[in-house]
Amino acid sequence: MRGSTLLSECLAVLGKEFTAELRSRVALNAIGLFAVTTLVVVAYQIGPYKIAEQDRPHVLAALLWIILFFAATSGLSRVFVKEEDSHTAKTLRLAARPAAVFAGKYLFNLILLVALDAVIVPLYCALMGYAVSGVAGLVLVLASGAVALAATTTIVAAIIARASGSSTLFAILTMPLVLPLLVILIQGTRAAAGSGEIGVVLPALRGIVSLAGVTLITSVYLFPVVWHE
Amino acid sequence: MIIFETVSGIRVEFRDVSKRFGARTVLSRVSGELSAGRVLVVAGPNGSGKSTLLNILAGLVRPSRGEVAYRNGEGPIARSRWFEHLGVAAPDMAVYEELSALENLTFFARLRRVDASRERLSALLERVGLPGREHGRTVGTYSSGMKQRVKLAQAVLHEPPVLLLDEPSSNLDAAGHETVAGLVAASRGRAAVAVATNDPREMAWADARIDLAL
Repeated sequence: MRGSTLLSECLAVLGKEFTAELRSRVALNAIGLFAVTTLVVVAYQIGPYKIAEQDRPHVLAALLWIILFFAATSGLSRVFVKEEDSHTAKTLRLAARPAAVFAGKYLFNLILLVALDAVIVPLYCALMGYAVSGVAGLVLVLASGAVALAATTTIVAAIIARASGSSTLFAILTMPLVLPLLVILIQGTRAAAGSGEIGVVLPALRGIVSLAGVTLITSVYLFPVVWHE
Repeated sequence: MIIFETVSGIRVEFRDVSKRFGARTVLSRVSGELSAGRVLVVAGPNGSGKSTLLNILAGLVRPSRGEVAYRNGEGPIARSRWFEHLGVAAPDMAVYEELSALENLTFFARLRRVDASRERLSALLERVGLPGREHGRTVGTYSSGMKQRVKLAQAVLHEPPVLLLDEPSSNLDAAGHETVAGLVAASRGRAAVAVATNDPREMAWADARIDLAL
């Protein structure tokens, strides 16, 4: 045990998460169902032509992040809730360092979010006729957004799992934490869509990275208390 | 004062341990002593606090009063590192039902950085009474007795110097009880073992005993 590295423990947790999720598909189904349903409803009811030209940059960027955010929240809280529900949390507490557990589950949520982005964003652009001038800028905003959103959802999931896993509580706690982040993400997405210059997304990127950093650092200190007390 | 002394030099001491949940007192000033390599049996009726005491010893629950200390020689071990020296099996602890028995043990062996070779882990599963043909099946398809055997294997796979077993023979048949007795006998020489039980057969393992009352 003494020779165990944090990285190897983190990768063990990550591997376990993937194996268990690929067999149960609870989070994948929840996220996928929500994302696809919302996307289809939005595309069917609003579509590419029912928004006034001057409103399109604002509305399309906001709609994209509403779909991504709520799809993410529908499944990402599972990483800790399922441990408590299935009584494996205690076993895991006695086998791994808190930092490794948080890191492994954070990486799992991050990978799920990146996969969600990779599937939903191109579909959304196609169905909504969303022309993005700065693809590189959008990719940067999406990637940094996934890093920040995964950090927030993972630590909030850990908190609510200790409170009997209330999904209502998850939404209530997550909303104020991610609201500033969502505003910046929407601004960054709008900027990337409107210009091919990377420079236009830099102010948003600074904000997103700052929020991600604060959330991750806070989580590293907060998680052991949440996990063990 | 209860002291577990192990060949690795780790001692677990607890003194005047009390625990309240709201207005209800579950444990009241529990103390005692156990010398190295011996088995402590914690007995008492349902609700007397046996599992709570083991949870306190494992660092999963903080006592309302009293203290628990892990010591390596004269130096105390930080509470955050107690888990490194512990093996625990309890009714409210599960292994992953989506994984097979072998995958579960591989996962916990990687976390504990011990030999995770298929041969070693298969041998351990055989030792707790799970035949080889069952090792690849997901635990969710197991009977409760088979799950209990995987939990026991998980508890001992890193040969911990402190072994805490809460009702270790629950869900097990007579052969399973013999398996647990074998594990306790094998651990006795190198580990401090505490067993919470109401089973007279398990009480017979005791070198020291605490009887808790309601």
